[in-house]
Amino acid sequence: MNNRKLSLPLALLMGAALIVVLFPVFWIVMTAIKPPTDWNASPAIWVPSEPTLINFRTLFDPEALGAYGVGGVSQAATKAVYGSVLATVSATLASVIIGLFAAIGISRYGNNSKATPLVILSGRMFPPAAIAVPFVIIFSNVGLIDSYLGLFAIYVAVTLPFSTWMLKSFVDDLPREIEEAAMIDGRSRLAAHLTVTIPLIKGGLFATTMFIFILNWSEFMFALVLSYSNVCTIPVQLAKYVTATAGTLYGVQAALAVFAMVPLVFVGYHIQSHLARAMTFGAIKQ
Amino acid sequence: MDINPTSLEEEAPMELKKQKIENLCSQYDAGGMNRRNFLKKMTFLGVSALVANAVSLSPLGASKAFSAIAGPEERAWALAKTAAAKATKKTLTLLIPTGSIGNMKPYTEKWKNELGITLEFIEEPDEVVHTKGMQEAVAKTGRYDVMMPTAMSYPDWIDSGVIFDLTDWVDQYDPEIFNKEWGVVFPASHHAQLYNGRVAGLLNDGDQITLLCRDDHLKNADKQKAFEDKYGYPLAVPNTWKEYFNLAQFMHDPANGFYGSLEYRSPYYVKWMFMQRLVSKGRLYFDNEMNPTFNTEEGVAALEDMLAMNPYLHPDAFSFTWSSNYNAFGRGEGFMNIVWPSGFKYSKAPSTGPATTGKIAATVMPADTLKDGQQLYAGLFCWGYGYAVSKYSANPELSYAYAQWMTSPTISADAIPYLGGYSDPYRVNHMKAPTQRLIDTYSPEYLETLYDNMVNTVPDFCLPGGFEYQDALDKEVHACMTGAKKPKKALDDAARKFDRITRRIGREKVQKSWLALARNLAEPIKKASGADKW
Repeated sequence: MNNRKLSLPLALLMGAALIVVLFPVFWIVMTAIKPPTDWNASPAIWVPSEPTLINFRTLFDPEALGAYGVGGVSQAATKAVYGSVLATVSATLASVIIGLFAAIGISRYGNNSKATPLVILSGRMFPPAAIAVPFVIIFSNVGLIDSYLGLFAIYVAVTLPFSTWMLKSFVDDLPREIEEAAMIDGRSRLAAHLTVTIPLIKGGLFATTMFIFILNWSEFMFALVLSYSNVCTIPVQLAKYVTATAGTLYGVQAALAVFAMVPLVFVGYHIQSHLARAMTFGAIKQ
Repeated sequence: MDINPTSLEEEAPMELKKQKIENLCSQYDAGGMNRRNFLKKMTFLGVSALVANAVSLSPLGASKAFSAIAGPEERAWALAKTAAAKATKKTLTLLIPTGSIGNMKPYTEKWKNELGITLEFIEEPDEVVHTKGMQEAVAKTGRYDVMMPTAMSYPDWIDSGVIFDLTDWVDQYDPEIFNKEWGVVFPASHHAQLYNGRVAGLLNDGDQITLLCRDDHLKNADKQKAFEDKYGYPLAVPNTWKEYFNLAQFMHDPANGFYGSLEYRSPYYVKWMFMQRLVSKGRLYFDNEMNPTFNTEEGVAALEDMLAMNPYLHPDAFSFTWSSNYNAFGRGEGFMNIVWPSGFKYSKAPSTGPATTGKIAATVMPADTLKDGQQLYAGLFCWGYGYAVSKYSANPELSYAYAQWMTSPTISADAIPYLGGYSDPYRVNHMKAPTQRLIDTYSPEYLETLYDNMVNTVPDFCLPGGFEYQDALDKEVHACMTGAKKPKKALDDAARKFDRITRRIGREKVQKSWLALARNLAEPIKKASGADKW
C-alpha cells in the first residue's frame, strides 16, 4: 500500500477535502488577527491588510479594544483559561487512571458478559441536557454547584465510559501471557500490570488521554449550567463576548478559540500516530 | 428628567450636583433670583429646559416640584441605607445578560463607598438568563439577589416561586412607575412590569421596535422627483406598510450593494416582524377564549406582505442577528431598518455607524389600513429587561432598593446614555423631558418618535409558557418565509401548536394572564381588535 502512487483525481479529491476541513481553522485564525472594523466587513475580508494582536490582548486586558472605540468587555479570560486547565487536566487524569484500572479489570478478570459494553456505555446514551438539571439539584444539595470539584466530578463521570472502553480495547490486544510471564518471574498481579501492561499500551494511553482531554476541554453544557461566578471555562467565556456597543465580538472570540486550540494541536501532533487506532476504539489492529 | 447631565466618571458625584440644584430651587422659592436667572443656572447645571421650566412654574414651588421627581430615588436610597446597615452579607449579586453591564457599572463605587455594599455582576449570555432563573427555582442557592430577565420571564419565574411579587414594596416605597409625568410610558408600564396585575419587576430597558430610514436619500432631489413621478406622493418616511413597501422597492439597488430594507427574516427574530404587522391589521394573538387568531385573513395577509418584501431585503436578512443587522445598516447597506432603540444609537455613533451617522430619519412603525378605512398604528414592545428580586436572596429589601434606585426617574436618565449597556429610554421623562446626555445619545427627534411609538405598543408573549408560544410561531413564520409552507398552512400549524401549549399549561391560567394584558392595550388597538368588549 505504501508503494502505491497517488493518482491525480485522488490527489485533487484529497486536496479539496483538506481545504474544506481546514477552512474553519483558517477563518478563525484570520478573524483573530483582524481589527474590529474587519470582523463583519462586507464583502468579507479574507486576509486582513493590517493584522493586529488586539483581540489577543483583549483576552487579558478587557479595556484594550477601547483603542478601536469598542467598550463593554468586562471580564478578562484569565479565569476561564485557569478554569479550563484546572478542570480539564484534573478530570482527564482521573478519568484515564480510573478507566485504565477498570479496563484492565474487565479485560483480564471480567466474565466476558455481553452486557458489559452496554453497562459501560449506557452513561453516554442520553443527551447531556437530560442529566444537567438533575445534577443541578444534586450538586446544590451537596454544595458542589459552582465549584471546580463539582465540575471535576461531572467531567469524570461523563468521560469514564469512553476512557474505559477505549483502554479496554488496547488491553485486550495485549497477550495476557506477557503479564503471566512477569508474574512467573515473581511480580505480583498489580506490579505486572504496572510494569508490563501499562508500558506496552502507552500509545493507546496517550491517545485516550488526548481524546478525553478534548472532550473535557470543549465541554459547554455542564460548565454553563453548573456555574455561577466562581467557575468559568473557555467555552462558556466564548459565549459571553457580546457587548451592547459592538454586538458579538467575533475577533475576540476567535482569539480565544485560537488560544484554546494551541494545546490540542501541540499534543495532537506529537501523538498523531496513535490517534487513528484510538479513535476507532481499537477496531484497527496493529 | 435627570438632573445630572454629565457623566459620573468625569464629574463630581451626583449628590453634589443634586445638592446644588436643591440649593438653587430653595433660593428661587425664597425669591432670591428671577425666573430668567433661575432657568439659566438650571441649564448651566445640566437640567433640561423642560424640567427647569416645569419646576419654575410649579404651583408647589421649585423645591417641592424638584423633590417630587427625585422622590423614588431618595426613598430607594433611604431603604438601601437601612437595609445595608442590617445586612450581614455585604455583597449584592446581580444576574445580568452579557453586554448590559455598561449601564450599571458607573454606580458600583457609590454603593461601595456610601453603603459598604459591593455590587457583584454575574454575566450570562442573554439567551441563558431565563434558564438560569428557572434553574435557581430548583437549586435555591441564593447566589443571586437581583436578576435581570426580559418581561417574558416574569410569568414563569413568579409561578415557579423564584422571584418576589414586588407589589407590597412598590406600594410602600412608590417607584412612581405609573406617574403620568415621569412614570414608565403606558402601556409598557403594565405589560413589561406586571403579571396578572401584580408587579413582578421594574423595567430598565425600553425595548420597542421603530423604523429607521436613510435621511440623506430622502433629501436627494433627484430621488424626490423620481419617487413622486412614480408613486404620486412625496418622498418621505413611510406612514403605512404600503408606503414602506413602495420605498423599499424604489430604493432597492442591489447592484450597488444598497437594499430596500434590512428587516429580519432570520430564525428567532422573524416572528416579531410578523407580530408587528398582524397587530397593525387589527388582530391580536388570541381571542378572549385563548383561541389563536393569527391564522385568519389578516394573518395570511401579513405573511403575504412579508413575502412580497423579501426581494427588496438585504441578502443577509435570513441570517441576521441583532448585531450583524446593526453592522450592515451602519455600513450603509440599506435604506430602511426595523430595530430596537439600541439600533438607532448604534447607527448614530460614528464609530459603529460610519455610513449612517447624521443621516438617519426615524419614525413610528407604519400603520395599516383597516376595512373601515381607519389607519391603525401598532408598535411592538419586544424583549425589554427589568430588575426582579430573587426569593432566595439573603437581602431582599436591599435588592428591591437597588431595583427602585436604578430605575428611578433621575438615576435611570443618568444610566441610559452610558454606552456598553442595553438600557434604552422607558420613562416619560426620558423622552418628554430629556437631559442633554439623552439628547446627545438619541437626538430630540428620535426621543419624540420613541414616545409616539411606545404609546401604541403591544406586548410580547408575556404569558405563562410565553417562550413556547413565541418559538412555535417563529418556526412556522420562518418556514413560510423560506417557502417550505404556504402562509395559511404555516399559521394553521402554529395555531395547533398554540392550542397544545394552552391545554398543557392550563387554559384558565393563560387566559387570566392574557386578559390582564389585553385590558391595558392602547385604546385604538383594543377597539380594532375587539378587546374593548372582552
